[in-house]
Amino acid sequence: MRITKRSNLSVKERLKREWNRNAIVYIFLVPALIHFLIFQIFPFGFSFVLTFMDWNVIGTSEFVGLKHWSAFLSDKLAWKAIWNTVLFSIYYIVPTMALGLILALIINSGVRFSNVFKGIFFLPVVTSFVIIAGLWGWLFNGTQAGMVNFVLGFFGIETQLFLADSGQALMVLAGLSIFKVSGSTMIYYFAGLQSIPKQLYEAARIDGASKIRIFWQITFPLLKPIHFYVAIITTIGSFQIFDSTFLLTGGGPNYSTTTIVYYLYEQGFTSLNLSYAAVLSYVLFFIILTISLIQRKYLGKDSAIY
Amino acid sequence: MQKKILKYIALSLLAFVFLMPFIIMALGSLKEVQYAQVDPLFWIPEEPSLVNYINIFEDGMFLRWIFNSVVITIVPVGSQMLLCAVLGYIFAKKQFPGREIIFWIFMAVIMIPQQLLIIPKYIMFADFGWINTYWSLIVPELWGIMGVFLVRQFLQNIPNDLEEAARMDGANDIQVFFRVILPLSVPVVATVGTFSFISNWNDLFQPLIYMTKEEMFPVTVGLASLLGKEGNFGIEMAGSTISFIPTFIIFLFFQRYFTEGIQMSGLK
Repeated sequence: MRITKRSNLSVKERLKREWNRNAIVYIFLVPALIHFLIFQIFPFGFSFVLTFMDWNVIGTSEFVGLKHWSAFLSDKLAWKAIWNTVLFSIYYIVPTMALGLILALIINSGVRFSNVFKGIFFLPVVTSFVIIAGLWGWLFNGTQAGMVNFVLGFFGIETQLFLADSGQALMVLAGLSIFKVSGSTMIYYFAGLQSIPKQLYEAARIDGASKIRIFWQITFPLLKPIHFYVAIITTIGSFQIFDSTFLLTGGGPNYSTTTIVYYLYEQGFTSLNLSYAAVLSYVLFFIILTISLIQRKYLGKDSAIY
Repeated sequence: MQKKILKYIALSLLAFVFLMPFIIMALGSLKEVQYAQVDPLFWIPEEPSLVNYINIFEDGMFLRWIFNSVVITIVPVGSQMLLCAVLGYIFAKKQFPGREIIFWIFMAVIMIPQQLLIIPKYIMFADFGWINTYWSLIVPELWGIMGVFLVRQFLQNIPNDLEEAARMDGANDIQVFFRVILPLSVPVVATVGTFSFISNWNDLFQPLIYMTKEEMFPVTVGLASLLGKEGNFGIEMAGSTISFIPTFIIFLFFQRYFTEGIQMSGLK
C-alpha cells in the first residue's frame, strides 16, 4: 500500500519535473508537427495519387492509371516547356553569377559608402516581381517608345521587338531575373571573399603578381564552394520561373516563354486539368531533386561553406 | 588618383542603372499621363501631380488590396517570428525522441517545390471552403522550415550557461524561453520576420490561385490585373510605388538581417 503510494507520487513528481523541463516541446512541437503533416506531407502524397486519377473539381473522380504520365511523354508542348526552362537557365545562371561576383568584388575593394552601394544592388531582390516586371515591360517595349530601344537608337541599332519576338522574349525575361537576383548572389560572394585570408593576397603581392593574376589564381579558385552553391540555388530558382512569364508574355509569343511552371499553371488552373498539372509538378520535383542530390553528393552534408 | 575617380564614376553609373527602374516608377507616378508615350523620357513630370494617387484610391479596390496584403503579411510575420523561435530552440537545445529524424525530414521536405504542393492544397482548400478567404494564405504560413533552420543554427552556437542558471533559479520551461532564449535570439528572429515579410508581401503565385474574387486580391495580384490593361501607365506606377513603400521601409531598417539571413542559409 505504502509502496504504491510512494511510486504514484514519484510518477507525479517525475511528470512535473518533465513538464518543467520540456513543457515547450509538448505545447509547440506537437501542433507544429500536425500542421506540417496537413500542409506539407499530406499534399505531397495526395498530389502523387492525383497523377493516377482524373480529378474533377465537381463530380466524381476516377482512377486512370498511367494515362496522364504517358500523355506527358508524348506532349510536345510539355517538352518544349522543359526545353524553354533549360534555355532560360542557360541565359540566366552564368550572367547572374558573374554579375554577383563583380558586384561583390567592387563592394569588397574598399570603396567608400560600400554599404550604400550594397543596398542599391540588393534592392531588386526584395522588390516584388510585379513591380519590376511592370517597369521591365515598358523598358523593353518593342517599339520606339521603349527606353532600351531609345538608348540603342543612339548607337545606330534599329528598333528591336524584344518581348514580341519569339527569339528574344526569353532573353528579356532572363535579363529581368538577372537584374532581380544578382544582388543576392553578390551577398554570397561577398561573404566568400571576406573569408579568404588576407595573408594570401599579401604574399602574392610581394611576389609581384598582377591584380588580374591574383584574381584568377587565388580569389577565383578559393571561391569554388561558393560558385558551386550559388550555381545550385540559381539553377533551382531558374526551374521555378513563373512570375515574369505570367506577367509579361503569357507564355508567348509562339510558346517561346512557356516554362514548366507556367505550363503547369495553365494546365491546372486555366484548363482545370489538375491531374495533368500534378504530373508536371512531379516532373519539376524530379528535376529539382536531381540537382539537389548532385549538391549533396559534391558538397556533403556537413561541409560548411564559409 | 585618376584611376580612383574613374572607379567611382563607373560604380555610380552601375548604381544608377540599378536604381533607374525605381526612379522611373517614382517619377512616373507623379506624371499626369495615361498611355506610355513615344518619347522615352515622357515619364519625367514637368508639373508633378498627385492625380494618379487620387485616382487609384478613388477606385475602391486598391485600398482593399492593400488591406488584404497587410492581413496576409502581418499575421504570418508575427506568428513565424514566435513559432520559428520556439521550434528552432526546441531543435537546438531540447532532447526528445525522434529529434534528428524529424529535422532530417524537414530538410528533405524543404526541397519540394511549392508549385507541387499548390495543386493538392487548392483541392483541399476548396474542400475546407478556404478559397477566397484569408485562411488559405495565412494558415499554411504560420511557421516555416527555413525559419526554424535559421534559429536552430543561431542557437546552437550559444552556450547553455544562461539557460541552466535560470533553471537553477527555479524558472520553468516557458519562462526560460521567454526570459532567456527569446531576448538572445532577437537578431535571428528579426531575420525570420524580414524574410517572412518579403515572401508574403511579394507572393504572386499562391494568391493568384486561392483568390479568384477581385475584392480578395492582395496588392500583387491586383497590380498584375492592372498590368494587362492599356492606358494605365500613371496609375500602374502609382500603385507600384505605394506597394513598394512598405518593402522599402523594411529594407531600410532591416537590410542587415536580410543579408545575414542569406549568408546563414548558405551554411546548410
